[in-house]
Amino acid sequence: MAAVCFSASGCRDPEVTTYRVSKETPPAASAAAKGPAAAGPTTMANTTVPTTDGESLTWTAPAHWQAKPATAMRKGSYAVPTDGGPPADLSITAFPGDVGGEPANINRWRGQIQLAPASDADLATAITRFENSGLTFAVVDFENAQQRVLGAIIPFRGSTWFVKLTGPATELTKEKPAFLAFLKTVKPPSTP
Amino acid sequence: MNPLVRSVRDFCVSLRLTVILLALSLILVFASTLAQVDLGIYAVQEEFYRSFVAIWQVGGIFIPLPGGYLVGGLLLINLLSAHIYRLKLEWRKAGIQLTHSGLIVLLLGELFTGLWQEDFQMTISEGETKNYSESFRLYELAIIDTTDPKMDEVVAIPDSKLAGAALVQHPKLPFRVATKAYYPNTTLARRDAAALSPAAAAVPVATRGVGSSVAVTPLPLTYKMNEMNVPSAVVELIGDEGSLGSWLVSPHLGAPQTLSHAGRTWRVELRIARAYKPFSLQLLKVTHDIYVGTDLPKNFSSRIKLTTPDGRDDREVLIYMNNPLRYGGYTFFQYQMDSSRGQTGLQVVRNPSWLLPYIACIMMTFGLLLQFGLSLRAFIAKRRATAKSVVV
Repeated sequence: MAAVCFSASGCRDPEVTTYRVSKETPPAASAAAKGPAAAGPTTMANTTVPTTDGESLTWTAPAHWQAKPATAMRKGSYAVPTDGGPPADLSITAFPGDVGGEPANINRWRGQIQLAPASDADLATAITRFENSGLTFAVVDFENAQQRVLGAIIPFRGSTWFVKLTGPATELTKEKPAFLAFLKTVKPPSTP
Repeated sequence: MNPLVRSVRDFCVSLRLTVILLALSLILVFASTLAQVDLGIYAVQEEFYRSFVAIWQVGGIFIPLPGGYLVGGLLLINLLSAHIYRLKLEWRKAGIQLTHSGLIVLLLGELFTGLWQEDFQMTISEGETKNYSESFRLYELAIIDTTDPKMDEVVAIPDSKLAGAALVQHPKLPFRVATKAYYPNTTLARRDAAALSPAAAAVPVATRGVGSSVAVTPLPLTYKMNEMNVPSAVVELIGDEGSLGSWLVSPHLGAPQTLSHAGRTWRVELRIARAYKPFSLQLLKVTHDIYVGTDLPKNFSSRIKLTTPDGRDDREVLIYMNNPLRYGGYTFFQYQMDSSRGQTGLQVVRNPSWLLPYIACIMMTFGLLLQFGLSLRAFIAKRRATAKSVVV
């Protein structure tokens, strides 16, 4: 009996498995679109997303972006479709404090697409700044031969929010207006 | 007979052993019920019932107890031995024998359930179609060849293999997978934001992917019902010509990590273990009814479209409380629901021995009925005989 139990227990140890599956399509945005509707442009999916309890920003994603489940690291996550290629990835993250400051974070993003760090003087000219809904946005846009990053850094009540879109360089050229329009929808929760 | 064989036989068929084992079962149930407060039901099942020795921790004292497999196994040996030793093919003992056989089937059923049952969940949003369920607690390192524009070739390495720090080599992979570090429960933070604790500083830093900017803090294992352990690992991929680099993998990481090697593109992710099915379920609608004028739930139901790739099945089914879908050896129970987000959670159970407890109960019922019937008949016959003798 004991031998049966021991040998059978051994069978329970899972093994490496292999299989072929159809490529996954990201979950339909409809699931995330069940939140309270926001007043926004009609081209948007009308998805105001409360990201954390308490002091969190809200936003309205363009209709063609597909919501992905948020994770412990991400307050928001979207797959941005491209023509034929893999979708570009948009992440929204937030961390306490200034997280090392703008130059360190922008250079970290540059490193992710194999670009050398830029000097503070170069960064000063590379950052586009604007204000909307009481928030200050620092927007950057840089690319290597294949990849492009559109990023925004938004200080908000003692923490820093990061919005980053990474994808094929040519595709993000087309997506940039939608990205900038999306930033205009980012608001503190109390803003109507 | 050899005295040793005789003493083993006497031990196995002893009624005293039966009583001791039943008493130990009571103690085991008592101890595991108290331990459930700290450990949760799953850990209690594994540590007290699906083990040979259980350790019951009371305060700072560790008390060893015979585990479920030991008690159940000895009970089974005891029952089988007594059955064989005292076996007499007599009609008047048929009831007892049938009842005992039912008990044996019941014990075996629990053993097989423990060994073979698969318990997964499937969370689907309205409109979404899924053909896989996910484990409640197991994870896997999925290395996915995404080169083909239509199909993904997946090699799934269970987290238990990563935890064993084994070097995994598989014919479908042009590189070996070496675990540099594995932590069964972790939290992640941005490396440049966190003042590294000593535990986090000891974690090796990944050389590729997002891991280089992430600080991993190992946490103690949790056994609470409403919490999940979320592992992280640093894995090194080693090709023919040396290391390709190391990656931090964790379900906490949202972004996919890819690499190109040998002319192919791969995605690497540590995710909740999946079990793919040869059919798919699409969630059409979730319904959450409440009693009028209250917040009390009245009914949860999920309208599902079940389809198979060969078109043999293409039908709608309604799953609600106590009305699961049974299909392909799996049972889909209505388990959780978030109607505000249009999501349903189904518990997916596969238990090849699910019929055994029913068969055992039927055998024991008929055995007892037969035994009592025979006793009653003998009793009535005896009374009639007594009455006749009194009359005579």
